[in-house]
Amino acid sequence: MKPKVAFFDFAGCEGDQLQVANLEEDLLTLLGQVEVVSFREVMKEHSDNYDIAFIEGSCTRLQDEDRLKQIRKNAKIVVAIGSCATIGGINSLRNYKDLESVKKTVYGENAKLFDSYAARPIDAIIPVDAYVHGCPIDRDDFLHVVKSLLLGKKTETPTYPVCVECKKNENICAFERGQFCVGPVTRAGCNSCCVNEGTVCWGCRGLVDNPNENAHKEVLIKYGLTVDDAIGKFRLYFGWQETKR
Amino acid sequence: MESAEELRLDYDVTLLPPKKYFFPQRETLFTYNLADGISTKSPEEAKPMVIIGVHPYDIVALLHMDEIFRDTKSDPYYFKKRENSIIIGINIQKMSKWNFSSLMGCAVIDYGYDLMLTDLGNRYGINVGSSKGEALLLKYAKNVTPALARDIQIAGQKKREVINMSEQKFDFAPELIPELLRDSYAKSGFWENHSEKCLACGSCVLVCPTCYCFDVKDNPDLTLEYGERIRTWDGCLLEDFAKIASGENFRATRPTRYRHRYFKKGKYLFDKFGFISCVGCGRCSSNCLPDIANPVNLFNDMYHESRSSGVQMPSSAAQPDVNINTEGNIDYVPELGTIVKKVPMTAYETLFEIKLDDGSELGHKPGQFVEVSIFGIGEAPISLSSSPTKEKTFELCVRKLGNVTTSMHKLNVGDKVGIRGPFGNGFDTKSLKGKDLLFIAGGLGIAPLRSLFNFVLDNRKDFGHITLLYGCKEPREMLFGDELALLASRDDVEFKSTVNWCPENEAWSGNIGVITTLIPLIEFDPEKTIAILCGPPVMYKFVIADLKTRNVPDGNIIMSLERRMKCGVGKCGHCQINQIYVCKDGPVFNYSHIKGVPEAL
Amino acid sequence: MKAQSFDVDVHHVTRVEGHGNIYVNVRKGIIEKCEWSISEAPRFFEAMVIGRPWNELHHITSRICGICSIGHALASLKATEAALGIKISDQDLRLRKLALHAENMQSHILHLGFLVLPDLMGVGSVVPLASTNLPEVKTVLRVHRTANEMSTLTCGRTTHPQRLMPGGFSKIPTITELNALRKKLQESIPDLQSIAKLFKSLAGKFPKFKRETEFIALKNPSEYALYDGVIASSDTGTAPAIEYLSFAKEYVVPRSTAKWAKHARESYMVGALARLNTNYERLSPMARETAEMFDLLPMCYNPFMNNIAQLVEVVHSVEDSIRLINELEAAGLQGQPDYNKPEVKVKAGSGVGAVEVPRGILFHDYAYNVKGICTKANCIIPTNQNHANIELDMKALLPQILDKPQKEIELTLEMLVRAYDPCISCSTHALKVNFL
Repeated sequence: MKPKVAFFDFAGCEGDQLQVANLEEDLLTLLGQVEVVSFREVMKEHSDNYDIAFIEGSCTRLQDEDRLKQIRKNAKIVVAIGSCATIGGINSLRNYKDLESVKKTVYGENAKLFDSYAARPIDAIIPVDAYVHGCPIDRDDFLHVVKSLLLGKKTETPTYPVCVECKKNENICAFERGQFCVGPVTRAGCNSCCVNEGTVCWGCRGLVDNPNENAHKEVLIKYGLTVDDAIGKFRLYFGWQETKR
Repeated sequence: MESAEELRLDYDVTLLPPKKYFFPQRETLFTYNLADGISTKSPEEAKPMVIIGVHPYDIVALLHMDEIFRDTKSDPYYFKKRENSIIIGINIQKMSKWNFSSLMGCAVIDYGYDLMLTDLGNRYGINVGSSKGEALLLKYAKNVTPALARDIQIAGQKKREVINMSEQKFDFAPELIPELLRDSYAKSGFWENHSEKCLACGSCVLVCPTCYCFDVKDNPDLTLEYGERIRTWDGCLLEDFAKIASGENFRATRPTRYRHRYFKKGKYLFDKFGFISCVGCGRCSSNCLPDIANPVNLFNDMYHESRSSGVQMPSSAAQPDVNINTEGNIDYVPELGTIVKKVPMTAYETLFEIKLDDGSELGHKPGQFVEVSIFGIGEAPISLSSSPTKEKTFELCVRKLGNVTTSMHKLNVGDKVGIRGPFGNGFDTKSLKGKDLLFIAGGLGIAPLRSLFNFVLDNRKDFGHITLLYGCKEPREMLFGDELALLASRDDVEFKSTVNWCPENEAWSGNIGVITTLIPLIEFDPEKTIAILCGPPVMYKFVIADLKTRNVPDGNIIMSLERRMKCGVGKCGHCQINQIYVCKDGPVFNYSHIKGVPEAL
Repeated sequence: MKAQSFDVDVHHVTRVEGHGNIYVNVRKGIIEKCEWSISEAPRFFEAMVIGRPWNELHHITSRICGICSIGHALASLKATEAALGIKISDQDLRLRKLALHAENMQSHILHLGFLVLPDLMGVGSVVPLASTNLPEVKTVLRVHRTANEMSTLTCGRTTHPQRLMPGGFSKIPTITELNALRKKLQESIPDLQSIAKLFKSLAGKFPKFKRETEFIALKNPSEYALYDGVIASSDTGTAPAIEYLSFAKEYVVPRSTAKWAKHARESYMVGALARLNTNYERLSPMARETAEMFDLLPMCYNPFMNNIAQLVEVVHSVEDSIRLINELEAAGLQGQPDYNKPEVKVKAGSGVGAVEVPRGILFHDYAYNVKGICTKANCIIPTNQNHANIELDMKALLPQILDKPQKEIELTLEMLVRAYDPCISCSTHALKVNFL
């Protein structure tokens, strides 16, 4: 019996669902293993009868909470996909700003028409069974989680940082190139894809479980970043996670 | 390389050492196909390689790896590549500022290579190191002439220059590192201070030419019909390296992991192989962002602290006896077994009876374990629960805990699993003959002890008084209930059981209290009795303490310990307790040997 | 003509990116309400980038949209480079154009194959087509795959590209890789021809609807404008990108979390059709042939033909990319970039970047202080600029189809929205309000 899967999105850019659509030929294989009953971006049909729910995007309004709770009730397994859903993502960048002034900046006098609160990952509202981290998610990582779910396995997300993957890929360390990287405190699983492309790790997969944040901020400062910039780097993706620690 | 112009031989150090060619970052151990009744396929022959421009310290590191990969059982994947390769070394022309290979005796060598080049200006001096190297030279090299006397002298001068190139400096003779470490294990605050900035990023071990720990996992295809088992580099500095399925992490803190690396390189491997497993390449130092990984700094600090606390350093290091025995190749590919019986015993534990498909006997000793594979999910170590006296099949008591065990619980009679082993040292049944045996089992610990217990019952006349003490948290967690009930009717075995508590809805008429509450209830002669323990990690300390108050000698206490085991053959590194590999040197240990091992209990 | 009474309430239109609703109330043949409304959660990007340094903005703003993240990154980079006076080399310019072509191809093919084709084949999604029309689906996937590989080669990956940075690229492809890409592009041409044939056979299903409106797109004398150009309005003519605010006048609509825009009329249209109407003369030869196959000529006022304009653009992108690769090869590829370049003299400044992304013209406008920290940001998204046109089209179309069965009315209105290929998550990134 093929499990029924459904895709949902909240406040996000839909890039993670695009990754699923971008599976190319693997998409056809995937469709042989699961039955997609709801995927608004790609299909008209919708059903509330699903086993696995993939959720993209952060919860940013009170009204999102009810929708999340309903999905949790309907689904046996809930998977958060993409940084916005797993850790708050880029959306949490605005949590550090005073929300009222943010709304005014954006909507002016009409600000009161739009409800919004601190952007948060979906596990702040409902229990989540599996995570596919990243901004956007890596297609192989997504398939790895899908395979684990199909096999009844608990998904194994690395608890070690991106440095492990950089070293295995023989990358010259970003710091040696004069750049500032948060890879040493960021969860691996992306195969160090950004450093492979010549840029730095920006932290999109979230902090590892027990990061030595102070040690890394010291490293950033030792290599030439100001204290404010070092703190700022941790706010790009870790905005929500930092408030929880 | 696509052309000769790309070759640069005057480099200081490579990012990754040449071990990546023989022990790659990721390697397929075998592929499996479930569709045709589970067939497995090992990867093809290794492609021949010529590696040009290897520095001497990296060559020494390969020699270290050779001995490590050959010890006890030989790793065929590594050696196939080693045998199919030619090493052309180059003497160091530029040394990185972190490099201290000259201090470790690895900057200049006269063995280990097929050819060694020395840059003499407008020509290279070539030392031939093997017949393979000589053949290569004859076949492909043009313009090779015998060296003139002045070439020999210049080459000698170049090598002498290398000895003096290092910017690093030890404040003591580095041969004494093992001695220095011996007294530093529990140095108050030392390891905490040095590891405070550790990011647990694993960089130091991943770039190290002598590190060889690896992880093994299954990678199924999306169709779930076939897949591969792969091994990848792993590192003891990483947080979950020593974590087991139950969630227990045997090296959970940064100082303990940080310390382990230095002890492994400077003491454990020295005690076994006689070399300090560090060639001074300096990669760990240059790759450590918080700059805490430089062995020179650490050992100098350790030396000064020892000096100031009045410790006397010996004048030379004791050389251990080195015995490297190889008993055949490691087989990473499981054989197939079929489940012939499945008996659920509790909500979480099920007893499986398995027979090997090729009809052979497992041939195990009590106390050994097997690695059970569910293809696509992974492999897990499970203790053998039946005695070898039970023929044709063997039994495994499996607790549903992690991915493999949970999957296994979903299997039924007739389903197949992969089996590798038996592994481990097992109990030395000969030494137990004629003695009184006191079995003390806690919870799931009864499962491995049963393999010895049933062996003893099948050879009853060879042993003296037999006692079994068994404790569980509550009555419904009792394992092998039916068999244990039969013990009560035997008069050649004394059996007592206890539970920590009994909930209201369960019936229990026996003892209530932890396992140690049973010990005062039995009589035994401490000199003639061997105590055999197995239970959750927390149990050992308390039981041993009570046995000691009853004057049981250290050598009369035997235990079976559990750690995270992956390869089962003492290579991947996960099961290490200090210098011990639980899968190889254990899981059965005599307390007198293990009481001095800090991480054991 | 039966005087019907019915309501159409399409909550969260499917097969569009983002969340939009169609509300129609008809009583006894009289249209009482016909609305297009956006309910996407606002995301506040303009506020978020304030206080971030100049070398981070492209990374943040690419997250406005998952589908046109390359376009957002490029518009962002152009704005930052204009503000800080950073120049890029000819090689980098060609590579950026390749990147934009890749995005256009990827987005259009996805839209046509996954989002539009099901309507024309009478099914709910591409999923059943994988069983009934496997060869056609595989053809679409093949071209899509080539477009994705092109994105990966030029930018690192399709969504949230890593290689793009102020001043150029952090890594560039090798000549071998570009040659392989060129071969793949050439091989996709027969596939595109068969896709064109397929759509030709189905094009009759698009309503022959026409409503005159204004078109705004970039225009460039030497090429079909995607990366560089001046703003061109079909009503008022051209102007440099820096004057974008006088073209895209945004205003808040209370029932919508996205803003609307207008210029010379009550609404205007951006996107492939607008571009084709503006830059028709610069289409590549095969693209022109494809347009002629569908009798698509300027000025075309049928919004449903935006779909066909997208198909024409895919053919153009393939041909133009081959030309760019030829030029890169002829000029000789300069080696991998030095990570510490470019030398950027951080200073105060402001700049505008205008780029054509698959859905239409996109503007990013930033101001930086002396430390290179962003003090102000404004982004005008193509879909925002289309919202008003969508509703006016709906209002004009509805009376023409009022006698059809309700299900067909609903489908036609949805097809109208889909023809615009709206990117609604982008359009709710929100902006500074200009009241009119």
